[in-house]
Amino acid sequence: MLKIIDLSARVAGKDILKGVNLEVNAGEIHAIMGPNGSGKSTLAQVLAGREDYEVTGGSVTFEGRDLLALPAEERARAGLFLGFQYPVEIPGVNNVYLLKAALNAKRKAAGEPEVDAYEFLTLIRQKMKFMQMSESFLTRGVNEGFSGGEKKRNEVLQMLVLEPKLAILDETDSGLDIDALKVVSTGVNSLRDPKRAVVLVTHYQRLLDYVVPDQVHVLSGGRILKSGDRSLAHELERRGYDWVQGAQVA
Amino acid sequence: MSRAPQASVQPQLAALRSFEAQWRTRPADSLSAVRERAMQRFLKLGLPTTHDETWRYSNLRSLAAQSFVDAPRKTRDEIQPNASLSLLGRADRAASLLMVNGHPTMPVADGLIKGIEIYSLQEVSRLDPMHLKRYLEPLSDADQQRWVLLNTALFLDGLFLKITARVSLPLVILHVSTSDGAGSIAYPRIIIEATPGSSVTIIEHHVAAGEYTPLSNSSTQISLGRDAQMEHYRVYATGAGATHIDSLEIRQDQGSRCKQFTIALGGGLVRTSLEAHLDQPGASLDSYSLLVGHEDRHVDCVNTVTHGARETRSNQTARAIASDSSRVIFNSKVIVNAGAVHAQSQQSCRGLLLSPTAEIDTRPQLEIHADEVKCAHGATTGRLDPDMLFYMLSRGLDRDTAQSLLVYAFLADVLTGMSVGSARAAIENALIAQLPDSQTLRKFR
Repeated sequence: MLKIIDLSARVAGKDILKGVNLEVNAGEIHAIMGPNGSGKSTLAQVLAGREDYEVTGGSVTFEGRDLLALPAEERARAGLFLGFQYPVEIPGVNNVYLLKAALNAKRKAAGEPEVDAYEFLTLIRQKMKFMQMSESFLTRGVNEGFSGGEKKRNEVLQMLVLEPKLAILDETDSGLDIDALKVVSTGVNSLRDPKRAVVLVTHYQRLLDYVVPDQVHVLSGGRILKSGDRSLAHELERRGYDWVQGAQVA
Repeated sequence: MSRAPQASVQPQLAALRSFEAQWRTRPADSLSAVRERAMQRFLKLGLPTTHDETWRYSNLRSLAAQSFVDAPRKTRDEIQPNASLSLLGRADRAASLLMVNGHPTMPVADGLIKGIEIYSLQEVSRLDPMHLKRYLEPLSDADQQRWVLLNTALFLDGLFLKITARVSLPLVILHVSTSDGAGSIAYPRIIIEATPGSSVTIIEHHVAAGEYTPLSNSSTQISLGRDAQMEHYRVYATGAGATHIDSLEIRQDQGSRCKQFTIALGGGLVRTSLEAHLDQPGASLDSYSLLVGHEDRHVDCVNTVTHGARETRSNQTARAIASDSSRVIFNSKVIVNAGAVHAQSQQSCRGLLLSPTAEIDTRPQLEIHADEVKCAHGATTGRLDPDMLFYMLSRGLDRDTAQSLLVYAFLADVLTGMSVGSARAAIENALIAQLPDSQTLRKFR
């Protein structure tokens, strides 16, 4: 589904990604772990199509298409979703409107008719209940005045409504208390499907107790230094990132 | 340096001479004495130039080099407004008054609206000149009031409205500017007196008709009696060839409340001023400015709010948008006089630049001479937030839709303040029509 070959990228004149290789197949959940500043968020943003992040080398294909040639909005319509580490507040633009416009953009691209207003509201209420979100969400601006936890729930809610083929969740677990973490994990697990894939970008292995990955990768210094099954996450937790970085040097 | 005064006066000669010529044709009336003083002061001071503090961003040089004659008087049947913008729907049952080049198209049916007495200024100058003089004086030399002097000297007619009750229907005053040739000027003048305890909504809507649009030098004065309430709109929706110089003065008595909207959607050069005097305890003013520049248009908005008594409150919200090579200026000043203890004031101006060749200048100012006051001001100008834009794109929205939504959201603070739903809808429609992907945006509403 997603194939990243030797990807390099630069942000504000600084080389951050220095040859990333990764392959994610349909039905799989991958976790990308790594210390702060290793390039995890940059990788997520580059995949979503952030323009001010300059790709300096390599290739990315998504279902056989050249992902890097598509603007951000077309990547989204093709079925890629980024859950932001820091979701932005957009006062004046209603949450529900944004979601409806997003869903309709996707449907239009797929040649489907626009969603019926009543049908949409029923859908969104059902998903909100699942994510344990309050009714006030419906009338508020996008992420406006949301707590950190509410913003993350909103990211997962959007993901559930849009049903992407590939979801990249950038530190969706950070800043969550244990109850919120469970809700978010349930949301992610509900998307588990033989036709879909999820990439979890995380700093801690805590999330991986709830969302069990098929593969774990360690990103450090702009490269994937080690890959393995879920036991790698536990080993990292025990031995720290220095262990991987040290191993590389040796 | 010694040449500077001459250089600024010389090019003005054409306009000043033509104003003087207009003055000589004015018949004597009960107001002649005050008009004469206004004319003399105006001629002595001249047109404002970029050396004058509140005119530094608006250069009137080319205007000053032209000659002007009175815009024609026309009847209701002779005009066909170009405006596509109708501010009120049929459901509103609102009353409307038509002014063509400053002349009310009379006769105004008496009892048109219950609770509003309507007179022409000619009538008032005959029947009760002393009452009218109270509004024309004192004359001010302030540079932001310069054009009011000229209006006072030369206005031919106008409207005097007396609000005597709580009026629920909005009243629309449709100002039509029209001319048969270039180089004409109109002097619309409106005086609105709200008696104690009354309330009303008044919408002044400026539109153009025909090929030529006269320079409009309009002046509106509002006086709010004790505990009176008013919602006042002035909306400019003329073409690129129109020039508006509009001066609004509001005087507020104890406990009165005023909501004022200045909406600049059109006009080649729009210069608006607001002079608000919160003279008595508890008077409160909410001023909203929505200033939209596009093409090579120029919008210059100057507000001065004076807190003259204790526990007065003012709140100014300005949103400026400039695209293409337009220029938008918002200049606001709050003065808190000695004795105005516990005054509260807020100024929030935000500018949004939509093109690299557009320009926005905002200058909120505070002058405080009293203790125990709460005053805040803030001004920011920038481009569309790239993080917000990327967030929306990453959800699959079209770039045009995302940008327009952000522009719309930017204006929301002003739009949501409007209580006349149909006027708000019409203004929103006119705004949206100027944005890309207006189709999708309409659905958003």
